[in-house]
Amino acid sequence: MLRLSREGGLAHFPGLARPRCVHCTGCSEEQLGELQSLLLALPGASVAEAGNDRRRFCVALVGEGGEVLWSQVVAEESAPQALLAWWRRAEIAPLQKKTDGQA
Amino acid sequence: MTASNLPMARPFLPPYLLERVATGGSARLRECARHTLLVDSRFRARAGAVTLPPGSERRGEPARYVHSAEQQQVLPGKLVRREGQGESGDSAIDEAYHGLGATYRLFWEVYRRHSLDDQGMALLATVHYGKEYENAFWDGNQMVFGDGDGELFNRFTIAVDIIAHELTHGVIQHEAALEYAYQAGALNESLSDVFGTLVKQYQGEQRVEQADWLVGEGLFTDRVAGRALRSMAEPGTAYDDPLLGSDPQPGHMNDLVETHEDNGGVHINSGIPNRAFHLAAMALGGHAWERAGWVWYDTLVDQRLGRNSDFATFAGLTQDNAARRFGATSEVAEAVLAAWRTVGVLP
Ligand SMILES: [Zn+2]
Repeated sequence: MLRLSREGGLAHFPGLARPRCVHCTGCSEEQLGELQSLLLALPGASVAEAGNDRRRFCVALVGEGGEVLWSQVVAEESAPQALLAWWRRAEIAPLQKKTDGQA
Repeated sequence: MTASNLPMARPFLPPYLLERVATGGSARLRECARHTLLVDSRFRARAGAVTLPPGSERRGEPARYVHSAEQQQVLPGKLVRREGQGESGDSAIDEAYHGLGATYRLFWEVYRRHSLDDQGMALLATVHYGKEYENAFWDGNQMVFGDGDGELFNRFTIAVDIIAHELTHGVIQHEAALEYAYQAGALNESLSDVFGTLVKQYQGEQRVEQADWLVGEGLFTDRVAGRALRSMAEPGTAYDDPLLGSDPQPGHMNDLVETHEDNGGVHINSGIPNRAFHLAAMALGGHAWERAGWVWYDTLVDQRLGRNSDFATFAGLTQDNAARRFGATSEVAEAVLAAWRTVGVLP
């Protein structure tokens, strides 16, 4: 499972910072391919950004038992558009079991 | 969707690949990392070399520059209003311009500080940042404001205390440079809220009992069940909304939130020092910027306030500064001590 959360910003809103999940078992081959490329190409480990009240994305791969297998923090400005798209989609509806879908 | 162009026919992250993602061990990853480092160093080079436009050489006069990103995520964007120019007719631009002016005025007229660095540094703001962007931030050189999504948030220039909050981050950067994590970060946030509300109160010539002691009142649309981002008087009561969740701020050390989220709870635990300021100001009455404000300002510029200061260190310094400016047995010194005791920071 891929867990995405956007946190930080001018205030901490627990509702908005709540992690969103993409269940890999419900993704098509194409979608998995896209996710994999996305993770591999994510900007490097968290850099202490200058400034205050900035937002960032926390990306984590979570195992069946809820254990974090891998995680990374990406500054909002350097987050790829595709990551934002996944984050938005994960919000609208937790991914349903589908064999095909638009990546 | 550029990432989808990369051909990937392997199954989704088998263990060996996962390990590589985790350790950055593969050649491809190293390439990515190197690329990222390059990009980062370019960013940093740019950030370091940002040449701010001319500041103000005349103490008492600001040098304001308002830009528009025109819904892009570029900084600083196009210059749309500079010092002395008239109204643009665009609310975000004009609110930013006046908010910069109001912030400059408090720091100058009350504390004799000539802009963020006390050297007349140019005040830069960018409005219309991004599309429906729901945030405002300080990037280390300037302030940035989104238009809000219209669903939950209005444009972020609507609240003068938010403009002042962002600028105060700039003042802190030039003084104690409080680290942006855990208690030091919460102090950084709290100082920004304190001077944010003081700018609003000074502009409205409000006495302590007339002030709303809210942070970001007006930012929420009517659809949100909430008054503001934070309440300094009653931390934890600013909003309780199905989408935003419930205001997580504590108002006492017993309820200090230990978390790794939000840089270690910088926007959460700031409720405690915020409430201490409110209590001190209310006990003293009158105009908050005159006495409580001076004590907090003296502490903000105090050389002894280190980057990693915690609440107790900060509280001790406010006590000392209250005694220095107003006398050890003064009403001010007493009010400050009582405030920190009430929130459980001092015994
Ligand atoms: Zn802030």
